[in-house]
Amino acid sequence: MTEDYEVCHAILPIVTPYVDGELPAADRVRVDEHVRVCGPCRSRVTAERSVRELIQARKSALLEERASANLRERCAGAVSSSRAATPIAPSRWPVWRARLAPLALAATLILLISGAFLYQLTDRSSRVMAAELTADHLKCFAVNDVLGTHDAPTTVQASMTSHFGWMLQLPQNPQRAGLELVGARPCLYGEGRVAHLMYRHHGVPVSVFMLPASVRPQEVLEVMGHEAAIWSVGQRTFVLIAREPRQDVEQLASFVQASLR
Amino acid sequence: MRIRRGSPVAVRARGLPQPDRAAFEADALASLDSLYRTARRLTRSVADAEDLVQETYLKALRAADQFEPGTNLRAWLFTILHNSARNRARDRSREAVTADSDAMERALEQPADLHARPATPEALLMRDTLAPDLQAAIDDLPPQFREAVWLRDVEEFSYAEIADMLAIPVGTVMSRISRGRSQLFERLTAAQPSVAAGRSVAGVGEKK
Repeated sequence: MTEDYEVCHAILPIVTPYVDGELPAADRVRVDEHVRVCGPCRSRVTAERSVRELIQARKSALLEERASANLRERCAGAVSSSRAATPIAPSRWPVWRARLAPLALAATLILLISGAFLYQLTDRSSRVMAAELTADHLKCFAVNDVLGTHDAPTTVQASMTSHFGWMLQLPQNPQRAGLELVGARPCLYGEGRVAHLMYRHHGVPVSVFMLPASVRPQEVLEVMGHEAAIWSVGQRTFVLIAREPRQDVEQLASFVQASLR
Repeated sequence: MRIRRGSPVAVRARGLPQPDRAAFEADALASLDSLYRTARRLTRSVADAEDLVQETYLKALRAADQFEPGTNLRAWLFTILHNSARNRARDRSREAVTADSDAMERALEQPADLHARPATPEALLMRDTLAPDLQAAIDDLPPQFREAVWLRDVEEFSYAEIADMLAIPVGTVMSRISRGRSQLFERLTAAQPSVAAGRSVAGVGEKK
């Protein structure tokens, strides 16, 4: 045991930089001297040092874990879909964050300025459209996770009517398909012309987008690790996006297609 | 994420020029494996880690204009990763996270039991620990210690960079690393039968 317990306590906070070789020379000498005479502090240093050395010795094995090809594709997809949106508008990310708090208080439908894309309703390929909507799907659910908003079907219907003149009738019993309504928002990607209905399917986020005045061939695309089912009714295009197996997404899409006009 | 609002970088209408943008994207993707490994330490499953990394890239690319060229892109991406993980955890269980970090901060306040452990040859024995056991022990640490040790000892960030990333003082970074390493040492040496037996004889074996 050391006589000088106070020194031990003074040394304690600098054991880590001492072990890491990050202490100024004067402090290092002080710790050296103390550790020479103090068994407990010496074992503390030994413990930290041996863990650090162990991690260094096993580092190549720890670094073997790598991102999957699929994840690489999804992230590269995020990159290329952001590049496709030229000219790149200034990101409003910080502004967007700053707006969250007051909006949470309002606790109603939320309008977000994304500014990331000026979405061309007719000129883009379905794949680029699906990628942009997937990005929106991720972002809107991230916001919703923070705010925890849940909208009643009547609220959603009223909002869609006033924003889009879309007299929609939401699916009567979405729980039959395992769906739970989360809310809706007019996505400003299409200058406010894209409607976004948010559901959860057994907890997994599902988005249904409605693009007015747009007709596209019916198909299911894989974008950024998500499946996007696209179909049109009249002059409206619907896109259902979820990160679920294609078969499930097709089933959800056919349920929504049958019940949503 | 520190943003200088109103700076020329932030208000420039067209963002980075295309060549810079392409370089930014290539540099950002170069950190993918690193971010993914760290995301694995911050989440419970591969799927969660992958979602977290993808969210990090989406946010980074959206906010690319706020990145100041010439500063540390890798640290900036890790900051976004950390904040995203924290937001997700907070959302998953606001109260659990608060309680957890309260307990953590209290643990940090308590002075360590300096004289609990006699010097032993445990350190040498511990070096026989294989990577999978080490990985498991790291993943077993309380989240804040795990993150600090990982960022320092595996990803090799400086204390200052980590402090910036986690928005905590440098002193707290060092004490989290210290606590994390000490706990790792305890667990790994306790896991070695010969050492555990020796410790029981020495009368400290009942310590968890």
